[in-house]
Amino acid sequence: MKKILAILLVAVLSVALFTACSGEPAAEGSASASTEASAEASTEASAETGGEASGDGNYTIAVVPKDSTNPWFVRMEEGVKKYQEENPGMTVFQRGPAETDAAQQIQVVEDLIAQGVDALCVVPHDPGAMEEVLGKAREQGIVVVTHEASSMENCDYDLEAFNYDEYGGYIMDTLAAAMGEEGKYICMVGSLTNDSHNMEADGAIATQQEKYPNMELIDERLVTDDNAETAYQRAKEALQAYPDIKGFVGTSSFDAPGAGRAIEEAGLTGKVFTCGTGMPQTNKELLENGAVSALTLWDPADAGYAMCKLATMILNGEEVGEGTDLGIEGYDALTLDGHVLTGNAYITITKENVDDYNF
Amino acid sequence: MNKIKKMTHQTEFYIFLVIIVLACIIQGRSGQFFTGNNIVSLLNAMIVPALFSIGTFMIIVSGGIDVSFPAVAALTSYVVTVVLNAADYTGPIVVPFLFAGALGLACGAFNALFIAKMRLPALIATLGTQSVFRGILQGALNAQQINDLPISMKEFGDTNLLVSSNEAGVTSLLPIAFLVLVVVVVIAFIIMRYTMLGRGIYAIGGDENSANRAGFKVMKIQFFVYCFAGVLAGVTGVIRASMMNMVHPTNMFGMEMTVIAAIVLGGTSITGGTGTLTGTMLGTFLLTMVSNSLIMLGVPSYWQDFMTGLLIIVGTAVSSIQILRSQKQKKNSLSRASS
Repeated sequence: MKKILAILLVAVLSVALFTACSGEPAAEGSASASTEASAEASTEASAETGGEASGDGNYTIAVVPKDSTNPWFVRMEEGVKKYQEENPGMTVFQRGPAETDAAQQIQVVEDLIAQGVDALCVVPHDPGAMEEVLGKAREQGIVVVTHEASSMENCDYDLEAFNYDEYGGYIMDTLAAAMGEEGKYICMVGSLTNDSHNMEADGAIATQQEKYPNMELIDERLVTDDNAETAYQRAKEALQAYPDIKGFVGTSSFDAPGAGRAIEEAGLTGKVFTCGTGMPQTNKELLENGAVSALTLWDPADAGYAMCKLATMILNGEEVGEGTDLGIEGYDALTLDGHVLTGNAYITITKENVDDYNF
Repeated sequence: MNKIKKMTHQTEFYIFLVIIVLACIIQGRSGQFFTGNNIVSLLNAMIVPALFSIGTFMIIVSGGIDVSFPAVAALTSYVVTVVLNAADYTGPIVVPFLFAGALGLACGAFNALFIAKMRLPALIATLGTQSVFRGILQGALNAQQINDLPISMKEFGDTNLLVSSNEAGVTSLLPIAFLVLVVVVVIAFIIMRYTMLGRGIYAIGGDENSANRAGFKVMKIQFFVYCFAGVLAGVTGVIRASMMNMVHPTNMFGMEMTVIAAIVLGGTSITGGTGTLTGTMLGTFLLTMVSNSLIMLGVPSYWQDFMTGLLIIVGTAVSSIQILRSQKQKKNSLSRASS
């Protein structure tokens, strides 16, 4: 009896292990999430008259974020709502999976296709897995716009907030302003294989070499494992190994906050500076006490708004390409590469404006 | 003389030598190792891995293994923070510690239930429970980073035992949590060295059947080690959160491997039965030192993983070769004596 129980337990635990490794407890979660989503969405669809509305401007546009509870996407929804307010004739809404999970997200997209929306704006969790279902959407004549997925094939356009080189340069400009354009600095990346982090770091270094001759790169790239504690430990060591260091460029969202903690602990606030990507509300305290000079970021609300606007333009048959203006700052002169449209929509968050951002 | 000879037969001695040699190399390359600030930084960085390693050391000595402790720490620290925040708790730090300890105890007992009572292989059981704990955290609780800690936890993290500073006015802090580490080390040392329970832990790790026949209650002892490690993991979770001034649900994951490596590096046999707490502490110190000195050593980022791996292998090899040699000598002298 005991033996059978033991074997059973081993089996259950190993199954638990493998399902956990492969992501999420998918089955029941996605089922409930999708029924929920389709139930809500069908009321949405019935509210909208006819469904097939191409040409008359009364489009139905659905925005699908990676998940619906993440503060980042809650903020995105504000942009979507703003677009709805400005275009009362349309039906614009955001509908995401309950948790960040590729399978659940695909389910939500399938439900929306079945409802006959006119356009889908998707922020795919796993672009590869999303290709097939978005291909299906396009076959049915649905306009597809994606975000943060420049490798996506099955979309009309992919919209990016900025290109990483330029964003890196922007972080450097922000840091240089804090450092008084002189002194030694170091770049931090989540890992040496992360494309966006390393492109940003390269962009930051290129900008420094071009514009700030009195600044000097310490020949080192700190690896922080996308972990707040590692970023803090590495920054502490760097402060010790290079007593004359004056700045940290952060690319992962944990880098600048980690360096900020190290600077604060060392009593070097106001003498050593750090700037980089980071979430406003979670780092409010570090911004307010000056340990982190500024955070750089793009605003998800603007991205949500811009995607809806882009989808509308495509539906209207307007020409989209180099120089397209989506009527919102940062997305007013897009550049086109293949089918990827890129803006320059970065924002700086300092202690003065941190309260304007609720994510 | 005899004492010195005996010392050279012990792993701890060689780990200590490796630490000294490495420290001298770092000092030579950067001139920064033997500074107050650096030592304080190392001790600071060591607190959390060392606390984890104590409980896991006892489990490994008893012939088991545990890979679930980072998940236990993450789960308990998250739950404690959320519950106390919801209750607007403003009282003393003992309550978060007791609360975390109790939750950790429950998780430890959960592990022990499968391992001691159901006789599941410890590795599989704790891999499974690890996923369960993580699953509760990420699925049921939908855990996210929390930046507002209960006031007593925040104060605990901000209270310093020692503040070191150099001539440039740069400071380095040793939080009061270091005292917790000292206390736990003393308790664990006394248990392992001077109590029948400690003897039992070594005995069941050496040979469960013999230990059983010698009168040790195998199941009870196993229950104790997993529960003890659970309590420690819970308390460590709260300490980590206080020190970082935030709770992050995933950033301890992955520590299990470095902690186990440190224990084995310190001379504890992975199959159980032998090992000392001193060795474990030295092993943890060595690994902390390696991962926090690569920048000072001037190792390029692209080579840091390689160097860490190499140092672990060299460190373990030096001691095990020496031990092997001394055992051979012993054998030779024994066979000579008998012939």
